[in-house]
Parts: sequence; structure tokens; C-alpha cells
Amino acid sequence: MAEKTDKNTVVVEKTPTVTFTLDGREVTVPKGTTILLAAQSVGIDIPTLCWHPKLTIAGSCRMCYVEIEKWPKLAISCATEAMDGMVVYTDSDLVRKGRAAVIQFTLMNHPLDCPTCDKGGECTLQDLAFAYGVDNSEFDFGKHRFGATENDTTFDDVVVGPEIVLNRNRCIRCYRCIRANKEAFGEFDLGVFERGNHTEINVAPGRRLDNPFSGNLTEVCPVGALTHLDWRYKIRVWLTDTTSSICPFYSSGSNILLYTNQQQNKIYRATSRVNDDIDDGWLSDTTRFGYQVAMSPDRLKMPLIKKDGKQVEATWEEALKLIGKRLTEITEKKGRVCIGGLVASSQDNATLFSFSKLLRKVVGSNNIDFRTDYRMLPQTSGGAYDVLCSQPFSIVGINQSDVIVTLGSDLVKEHPNEYLRIRKAVNFGAVSVYAMNPYRTKSSDVAKKELVYQAGTEEILINSICLVAIEDGLIDSSLAGNLAECISPSTAAESAELCEVNLEDIRAIARALADGRQITFFAGEIVGRSINREAIAAALCNLHRLFGLSGRCQMNILPRHANSCGAVQLGLLPAPVLATKDMLSKLWGGWPESEPQTTDRMMANMKKDEIDGYMIVGANPIMLYPDREFATDALEGLDFLMVADLFETETTALADVVLPLASWAEYSGEYVNLEGRVQKTHQALKTDYDARPGYEIAALIAQQLEQPLFENDQTRDETITKVLAVDSTLPWPDEFLEVKHVADEVDEEYPLVLFVGDDSHHSGYLTEKSNSLTNFQAEPYVEISPTLAKRLGIDDGDSVRVESPVGKIVVPVRISHHINNDVVFVPMNFSGKQVNSLIMRKSRVDRVRISKVVD
Amino acid sequence: MILTPESVTRIKDAAALYPQAKSAILPAITIAYRQVGHLNPDLYGEIAGILDIPAVEVAEAASFYTMFPKEPVGKYLIQVCHNISCALLGAEGLLSYLQDKLDIEVGETTSDNLFTLVRVECLGSCATAPMMQINHDYYENLSRAEVDRIIEKLTAEAQSGGTL
Repeated sequence: MAEKTDKNTVVVEKTPTVTFTLDGREVTVPKGTTILLAAQSVGIDIPTLCWHPKLTIAGSCRMCYVEIEKWPKLAISCATEAMDGMVVYTDSDLVRKGRAAVIQFTLMNHPLDCPTCDKGGECTLQDLAFAYGVDNSEFDFGKHRFGATENDTTFDDVVVGPEIVLNRNRCIRCYRCIRANKEAFGEFDLGVFERGNHTEINVAPGRRLDNPFSGNLTEVCPVGALTHLDWRYKIRVWLTDTTSSICPFYSSGSNILLYTNQQQNKIYRATSRVNDDIDDGWLSDTTRFGYQVAMSPDRLKMPLIKKDGKQVEATWEEALKLIGKRLTEITEKKGRVCIGGLVASSQDNATLFSFSKLLRKVVGSNNIDFRTDYRMLPQTSGGAYDVLCSQPFSIVGINQSDVIVTLGSDLVKEHPNEYLRIRKAVNFGAVSVYAMNPYRTKSSDVAKKELVYQAGTEEILINSICLVAIEDGLIDSSLAGNLAECISPSTAAESAELCEVNLEDIRAIARALADGRQITFFAGEIVGRSINREAIAAALCNLHRLFGLSGRCQMNILPRHANSCGAVQLGLLPAPVLATKDMLSKLWGGWPESEPQTTDRMMANMKKDEIDGYMIVGANPIMLYPDREFATDALEGLDFLMVADLFETETTALADVVLPLASWAEYSGEYVNLEGRVQKTHQALKTDYDARPGYEIAALIAQQLEQPLFENDQTRDETITKVLAVDSTLPWPDEFLEVKHVADEVDEEYPLVLFVGDDSHHSGYLTEKSNSLTNFQAEPYVEISPTLAKRLGIDDGDSVRVESPVGKIVVPVRISHHINNDVVFVPMNFSGKQVNSLIMRKSRVDRVRISKVVD
Repeated sequence: MILTPESVTRIKDAAALYPQAKSAILPAITIAYRQVGHLNPDLYGEIAGILDIPAVEVAEAASFYTMFPKEPVGKYLIQVCHNISCALLGAEGLLSYLQDKLDIEVGETTSDNLFTLVRVECLGSCATAPMMQINHDYYENLSRAEVDRIIEKLTAEAQSGGTL
């Protein structure tokens, strides 16, 4: 039964079915179901090698043979549809004979080097050869060998990318890797070459296998042909235990398994733990290799306290005493509002909630935030931006959409999982994707149209979509109300001109929004980072209202970090939404009276000496706050700074007390993903030095202040569950909001627009500590378009100076087709180059100029 | 660009014949091969750029077809069929005769860069076996005398600067 949702009514359509006999059982399935899937649905296992649930059918391995009565030959069940009256046997003598023969063919060139193969123990081919008792082929000619030399028969390992190793002799030509790479990831760095006996998988000429999803290929490979360096020859898979966990970097919370060995107290790798509702079994490389961060030898092992201007090692007891003493001094001297906190939204619920209570209940201030890299945040909450952020969003909903629109999101870098979802929607459904970005991104690979607008004109762009809908009569004119008076410019043509986009493209998006049955519309980091975020959100609210999107559109500004949603719901904002605030003040018997202050505001007040004590947990504002000078001045001006983190950073360097923080792999915790889904991680490592989880640190500080936080962990977790249950969805505004164009001043000295973000193999300041990820990319660069490179006479790899009115850095150039002429992109996740020194806190659009460094 | 404007136009014309540009990969590599005399990754990149498809797809197709040389070859590429009909009628003898005559092994090119000798699978001309293909032409019902005559003719042609 397929459900079709019309705008208002739900029509239930009956799908035709077929009934057939499978191993003597009558089975009814929807028409079009393959025998393989039908068998799986009733628990009959048919062996496969080339078939993969998330990929198109190749039918190249022949392993899934079944016998069908009255058919002349065995049929491959992966590609044969079940038909009425068919009588199918999945385990007859003929089938077993056929499959055994298939294995013989498959082993024709396979080296059977299981003892030295890393796939041993988890290899489908090994299992099937075992199951069918076949250990070699009957061909009497020698096996074809790939290898650099004649003797190079077993270890013909070719390193084809920063992480991936290819062994062509083990390859059975199932083409899973090729299909995954092309279909699921849209990458073209791997291909099939030559033919017949000599057919080989290899990287495209002149390329490396280094796409952001490359690690998945080792998982889809059913044999040991593709393995990754990080895992090879380190441990046998049967000597590992698995611990379920989730991705600690991105907000979708992809499900992962950590392979550990308790005696060694090590994590050996991460693989996907397929969750069709979230990740479909694909992981970005950052998620896959990010576990190495937890095991980095650079981890902070002991507390540090500043003595005579120098940080020296100390015990927890000394450190905690000092924190207690200084916080009490400041509170007594200046009053409670002088202490603030910044707790990163990559921390688990218990940590976030404990610090929220520490700041609000014990210290008694509203100076708490989880946002490190957003400037000029509004002091109040409940504005259009918060309304959008609070809206429900479902990842699977992306695949149920017929129209997908994204605004200001470099998807692959910010939301790799959602990028793959959109790809899937495009591959397997009738969906129109429109991406709107200030520079060309990889979204253009999936989008029907990627609209590139002038940086900083998002709200006018959204206005223009509304205006065109009114002008062209695409929407019910009664819905238009007084919108035209609320926005300026007041014609679509003028707005489009300001955004430097083609009116026809705007029209196409307006039409799609007017006609869409199920729409997914989300904005990303470019909107989140913009100081104009409130106006952009207001324009989006207007659009939502004008097009009557309620009930047929999931619209959101997607959160960025693993637990951003948890942070919002647990009240980590200086001014949480009313429902949350009510719940918390009920639980805590009151609410601090101090003025709510965002990270941004707190920093401004540090300079004015109005914030004297600051506690940072798992955040690095000096590196990531979009104005390095401002952040440095602020933190240097503090009387007391405590930082808890995994590593020594630019920020810990300024601290009076540095505490070693346990990583997500070292304790069990809960995280809320962007859909509001609460997911658990489990402890995979024991900290063999004295690092502690954030919630424990909060509790210890509270003890020092003689006000225990919670009776025990259980009461804490029960309270968290209660707070998470509060519905924090904000209602859409019931009128059109004002969105007027404000001209941006352009300094002609700095003609290029600068965008920052993460490299596609990194996320935030921690992933630099993963060796695998730095093998992909270790240094910052400036990405520029070929046209700009030509104009400036710059070649790929040349050193250039990137200058803004406030700073300059020297980085190598990367020429990319995924960027347009007047825009440059610099990743901010590498600590070496102080990229945020180029940025001014109050700029709407960051501008730079670049010039070649002549040595 | 290695491809001449004329080749580019011909590739674009070929692509216009198909609903998908990808379908024009074979015509495109044929055009490139005829212009350059062999194929290489730079050409795959250029073709991919013209057809707006990933370069790897061009490389894959090119690698599948053995009739496109992937390394520079002599002015005349001699492809001797060694499949069943030709083999029965002395293809191997013909091959060794050519090796001796040109003083090269199969797979090699003469030092004057005139001839490259390769052994190929069936060229679909069994009725006229033994046979060989030189560049784009078939030479059929071969005998040693006939081979002498052809090589002589081609050598003379090359010396006078003409082309096939």
C-alpha cells in the first residue's frame, strides 16, 4: 500500500501484488519485487556478492541463483521479478550445484591468500567458499596476475588514495565499489578498465581515490580487494569487540560501530551500523576516521594550572580547588553575573545539562551558550531564526520529497549525510532539487539548478521568489496580503538584479514551491554564520506563509554539530524558548535574573570587564570565532579562565586552569540529532590517564561551590528526559515580517568574497588530530576559480597572500571548478594559519584580496 | 588542447546525434584517435570536457577497446589477425615473416618509426583469411609476396611524404 499525500487529503492507493511459491511457501509481494527481496522479506537467505541493498542491480556475480519451475535455466534472483504462480526453489540440488560452479568461476583468478588478507574473517567470498565447499577453480591454466613484477603475486597492493589500498588479484569484479562511488557518492575517481580476464578496477588516470566518502568502498567490497591503511595488518577482526556509537561530528548522528580490543585498550576502526532512517549505511570519511582523535598521543593527560604566568601540571584536586576559589572570589567581589560559560554542542546531553545547571542554578547567571563560531547573535530568542531552527525535520523526509530546495549550504562539507540523501532522492525518485548558494558547490552535481547569488543577498533572493509568485499569479492572490509592503525592493526583477541571478531561475523555484506536494527546504551554515541571519529567516517565514507551505513542507535551518539540537532543547541558550525555560525554572525552583548573554555578547563584556570568569568546555573560540583579534582580546581580559578540552589549543593557552576532557569514546552518553532523535554512544575506551567527562567536571565544580548538582546520575538522566520531552517547536509568525534591502558597502581594495568552513575531510578543530584525515588534507589552502587563477597568473599549488583589512595569511592555492570567479574559500579547521584573523565580527560579507607570493 | 578545432567540431556534431552526450564516447575517441594516432589520458580529459561527462568514463571505454593504441605507434600500425581462419591459413607464419622482415618483435615499432606490429583478435574478415589491418584499411588473402609488395609500397609512400 502506498500512501499519497495530496495537499489536504490522504489518498490510499492499492498497489497490485503477485503471489508465488517460494520453497513451498506461498508468498505475496508487491508487483515488481525481485525474488531476492521477496525471499529476504520472509527470512529466506539467498547468498549474494554483487547485490547491495542500496545500489542498482548489476547481476554480475551470479551467486544468487534460484531454480524456477518450467524455466530452462537457473535464474539470478536479484534481477528476476516474482510473478504470479511462479514456483521457486532457493536451495535445491540444482541451485547448490549452480552456486558451487559460480564460486569456481569467481575463484578463477582469486589468489585465495586468506592468511595474509585483512578481510579474512569477514569476507563474503570466504564464507561462501566455506559454505559450498569449493576451494579452487577447475581451470588448468595459471591464474591471471596483476602486479608490478612477476614475483609480486600476493602483495600486489596499490595505494590508490590517502587511505585506500587496492589489490586487483582479489577483486571479483562485482562492481559494488564502482556503483557506490558513482551512484551513491557521485564521484568519478574510480573506474573499470580493460576487459575479460584482464578487467580491473582502478583509479581514473591522474587521480587519487580521495573523495569524502572513499572509506565506504572498503565496506562495500565483499572481498579483500579494497582495504584501508588504517586497519591493515593491525589486528584480526575476530580479536575485536564492537561497541555501538554515533558520529560525534555531524548533526545527523550517523550510526557507527567501533571495533575495539579491551586488552590493548584501543579502537581499531569505525564502520557503519546501518540505520536506514539516518545514514543508509554510508559514512563520510570524517565520521569513519574521526575516532583516531580520541586515541591521539597529544591528548591532555593532566590538569594544568597557571603559576607565575606559566602553566604547570597539577592534580585534579589542586585544579578544582583553584576553580572553586576563583569563582567564589569573583562572585563575591563583583556579583554573580560576572561568570559565563561556553559548552560546545558536540558534548553529550549530560554534560550540556550539567553545565547549564551549574551556570544557572549554582552560579546563578544566564551567561551560557554553546555557539562558538557565530558572530553578532541576537540577545533575545523566539525570533524568525529560532522559529526556523525549531521546526521538525526528518532525514527520511528528504527521500519522500518531490521538491528539495537548499539555501546557503556547502552541503558536502556541512551535512555529508544529507547530501547523500539528496543524491539518493535524485537517483531513485522523481525529485527536483534547487540549490541556492553564494558560490558554486558540489550541490550542482545533484541540483537541477544551482543558483549562484551575490554573497550577502540571501533575504532579497527569498523575497524575489515571493514576488515572482505574486507577479505571475502562482499562488492564491488572497494569500499575498500586505507582503509587498513589507519587503523591498518590491519587484522580482529589481530583487533578482540585486542578487545577480536570472529571473527565470527564480521563477522555476517559485513554480516548484507552488506545485510541490512534499517539499524539503533547508538552509545551512552560510545562513547560520551570516550576521544577517534574522532577516534571512524572516524572509523564509514570509515565503512559508505566502506559499501556504504548512503541512507540505519541512523547512529548517539545519544545526551543525552532533548535539546542537540537544543543546537547544536542554536550554543551553542564554534565553531558551519559553516552554523550556518554564520547565527548567520549575525544576530548579527559579530562574536567574541576570540579562541573557550570548558568547558574542559575553566576549564584548569581557573587554568591558563585566565578565570576569569564564568556563569553556570542548570549544576553541580563539581559533574559530569569526574575529580572532576580538576573541583574543576578550579572553585575555578575563580574571579567570577555565578550559576543559581534549588537547592543548590556542584557547587553553590563555587559561588559568586547563582540564583534560574525556572524549566521546571514553564514556557512554546521549546525543540529539537534527531530527530530535535521542541516540546513545557506549564507552569504547578506558581513559588510561586522568581525563574526565564534562558532566563529571561540572559536578566536581559544583561540589567545590558546595552545591551538589544532582543526587546521582539517574536523577540527572531522568530530569534530562523530562526536559527533552518539552515541545520546543515555535509557531510560525502570523503575519508577514519586514525584510528590507540594506546595501552592503564594498571596499574596492578587497574585491573578493571570503567564505570559510570545513575542508571536506574535516570538521571543527579536533579532526586535525586524526592521522587518516590529515593524510587526506593536512594544510589550509585557498580555493579559487580557474578564471580568477588565470586573471592573477596563479598556478595550482602556488603560495598566495590572502589579505583582508584586518589580517593576512599565506596559503597555497587550490584551483577548483566548484567555485565562482569572485569568491574564495579557505577551510578554517586547520589551526596553523589563523584563518579567522581575516574576519571582522561586524562584516556582513567578508572581503579579501589575494596576490601571488614572489620568493 | 591536443584536439584541433576541427576534431572538436566533429565530436560536438557526433554528440548532437544522441539524446545523451555519453553515447558519443566511441565516436569521440575514434575522432581523437584518427587525429592523434593513439589515445592518452589528456585526450580523455579533453573529450570529457567537450561532452561534459566524467573523464573516467571516457578512459574506461577507451581501455575496453583494444583497437585504439594507448601509446604512440609507428606511422603504420600493422594488426595481424591470428584467430581461427587466419591461423589455419598461416597467420603465425605471416607474423614471424613480418617480424623478420621489419626486424622487430610483435608489439614493437621499427627504429624509423614507420611500422608497429601487433597481433589482434578476429577482425571479421574470415572469408579472406589470412588478413591484416594497416591503419584503417584491410589487406586480405595475404601471401609473403603480397606482404613484401605492401611494405614496399608503404615505405615508398612514407618517403615521398604521402599518407595512406
